[in-house]
Amino acid sequence: MKVLGIIFSYSTRENLRELTKRRTLASLPVGAKYRIIDFPLSNMANHGIHEISVICRNNYHSLIDHLSAGKEWDLERKRGGLRVLTPYDRMAGNEPVLYRGMIEGLANNMDSLHRSRADYVILSGTSVIYNVDFKELLRNHIASGADITAVYADNYNGSHFVPNGSPIYHLDDDDRLADLTINPEESEQPNTRWGIDLIVMRKYLMESLVADAIAFGRYDFDLDILKRLAGSLYIKGVRYEGHLLEISNVPGYMKANMKLLDSEFRARVFRDPVYTKHKDSVPTRYFEGCHIRNSMISEGCRINGVVENSLISREVKIGRGAVIRNSIIMQNTEIMNDVLLDNVIIDKDVIVREHRSLAGHSTYPVVVEKGSIV
Amino acid sequence: MFNQKKKEIIAMLLAGGQGSRLGVLTERIAKPAVPFGGKYRIIDFPLSNCVNSNIDTIGVLTQYQPLELNAYIGSGQPWDLDRIYGGAFILPPYMDSEGGQWYKGTANAIYQNMNFIDQYDPDYVLILSGDHVYKMNYADMLEYHKEKQADCTISVLQVPWEEASRFGVMNADQEMRIYEFEEKPADPKSNLASMGVYIFNWKKLKEYLIKDEADKKSDNDFGKNLIPAMLQAGERMYAYVYGGYWKDVGTIESLWQSNMDTIDPTVPLELDDPPWRIYSRSANKPPQYIGEHAELSDSGIADGCWIDGKIENSIIFSGVTVEEGATVSNSILMPRVTIRANSRIDYAIVAENSEIGEDSCIGWADEGLIMGQDGQITVVGPDLTLGNRVKVARGAIVSTELKDEEVVK
Repeated sequence: MKVLGIIFSYSTRENLRELTKRRTLASLPVGAKYRIIDFPLSNMANHGIHEISVICRNNYHSLIDHLSAGKEWDLERKRGGLRVLTPYDRMAGNEPVLYRGMIEGLANNMDSLHRSRADYVILSGTSVIYNVDFKELLRNHIASGADITAVYADNYNGSHFVPNGSPIYHLDDDDRLADLTINPEESEQPNTRWGIDLIVMRKYLMESLVADAIAFGRYDFDLDILKRLAGSLYIKGVRYEGHLLEISNVPGYMKANMKLLDSEFRARVFRDPVYTKHKDSVPTRYFEGCHIRNSMISEGCRINGVVENSLISREVKIGRGAVIRNSIIMQNTEIMNDVLLDNVIIDKDVIVREHRSLAGHSTYPVVVEKGSIV
Repeated sequence: MFNQKKKEIIAMLLAGGQGSRLGVLTERIAKPAVPFGGKYRIIDFPLSNCVNSNIDTIGVLTQYQPLELNAYIGSGQPWDLDRIYGGAFILPPYMDSEGGQWYKGTANAIYQNMNFIDQYDPDYVLILSGDHVYKMNYADMLEYHKEKQADCTISVLQVPWEEASRFGVMNADQEMRIYEFEEKPADPKSNLASMGVYIFNWKKLKEYLIKDEADKKSDNDFGKNLIPAMLQAGERMYAYVYGGYWKDVGTIESLWQSNMDTIDPTVPLELDDPPWRIYSRSANKPPQYIGEHAELSDSGIADGCWIDGKIENSIIFSGVTVEEGATVSNSILMPRVTIRANSRIDYAIVAENSEIGEDSCIGWADEGLIMGQDGQITVVGPDLTLGNRVKVARGAIVSTELKDEEVVK
């Protein structure tokens, strides 16, 4: 069975403030080395999906720079491979119009999607990181006879947390979708099944559902397809049991990264290889006087100071006497001598000068925008 | 033939050497494939030097244990050598209608691949060795070669006089024109040591390769036969003095020393050099994780490591595990090595995939002896499992598995 993977590089419900001001969600750095899209792309490539379209909406320059021809994910292919679908000309007056939901993203790229010879499509968002066995998912979809399989979680790595804006699936006794509501606020909700933006169906069904919806001006996949058609189509809910990382706001981003410091959890996330763009950095250099505890650190760094409970991306320099706690430092940033950081997210290419001190709180981390000088 | 284009210069990289003095480290891999500097292989240096010097066509001559080297080079993509016109080509010995033979010597290896070189119709050919660690701009050397209107330019290093007798020494006049070549002279007249990096005018080289092949008494070696023959015939041969870091990593001690040089700020072998990056095939590992009990100083650590012990003055390759209480000092841990809790590794090289059990000591020495002072390095070969409470004496070579509490003197 040939499968086309479709990844949406954007989310209509994220609020990541400065972090996605100049980049699309899919190219947000995560895990001290990766971009979010590395996870679904690697996950698909590791399970034999070698034809993948990435639907972009806005601010996708960093994403295209990252993905290039897809070589690193083994997706630079003649048969299938990676296609990055940038928006078609959509203007209202002189203003570009952004896709309002997944349906509009699909509809505007239908020419490209039509051309694929795949029998099935697997749709994935980027605000939830998971690791699914796609072959098994497809087998179960075919065996169940369902029109659509929608994957849900009923916990978040053991907690009852349900993200803001997630679709909540109400299933009948046969796991068939009866109704769908949107979670109004982030909260602890036991026994709630929330969709992780992972959908399987026949490609021709997707094409006709999208054409129908667009004809009536409908754009929201959850409400206008899943909820509206729950009575007429067999939409089956399938429970996802593995690890999850949900990234749609700044504290959630912080929490997701910090979760990777848990060695048992990290081993599960990296059980299969996760591919990313190579940088050819040198091994990280640790100098006398540095002190590192419970941290994830990428190659190319030069570390003289103290680093605790933090994630440090590639080619970061940390000066003598600097103390970094509970923080995320992105690529190519320089932290000079005697800087103090606690609960801070520092974006790429930032310079923090000597003796500066920044502190946030785990529920409201300080974010320093890309390219700033503090 | 297809996709050919004339090239001004192409490189031929001699990568067939066994490196027998590296013992267990080169039992199953050729010397150029030996891991180096925390994430590289030795061959990354000449390959990266080539692409950084705008040389995009490289023949890699393999013979001894080529499997790992072939897989490593692959399409040449990590070095930007997957090109339409040119790129990296693995050139093993082959058969033709006349039969076939192994590469008898360095010159014979090039002789057997004259057709490969002719495809690109180059003006110049750069001959390189796959077992040296250095960063060098071959484009500058080519400029010099053209300026001197030389037939052959040999890159040389000014070595301390007392060491000159260990090298092939070039005796040159004030213009740097070479008039004599002496292989390991007892009483050297010059301290200009050959680095095994040559630029030849291709027409001239071809002529001498054919002559050399016809001489049944020749060893078909550049240093021993071809270069002396060219000198004798009065060809224009010049020495090009290279001023940077260069090391032949032919012995365990020099391999260890050269690795340590990558983390010594006083040695001019800085690998963190964005305009002159050394490229390598990525291991695709997650970032390193440093645990609650780690103590790190003066070390280089690659991706994919899990470090909870003490690391000082050491090079740690990707995917290495060092457990709590273990101490690694002045040592090189090659990819995917595991050091179990409370073990002590000092002045040692532990090769790929090997595991050292708990409470062991690698590089153990009697009280009163200062570790490493006599330059002795302990080596644990690849893919070995050593038990718990094992003791391996300083300078010993371990090439078999060891049971719990075994002692190697």
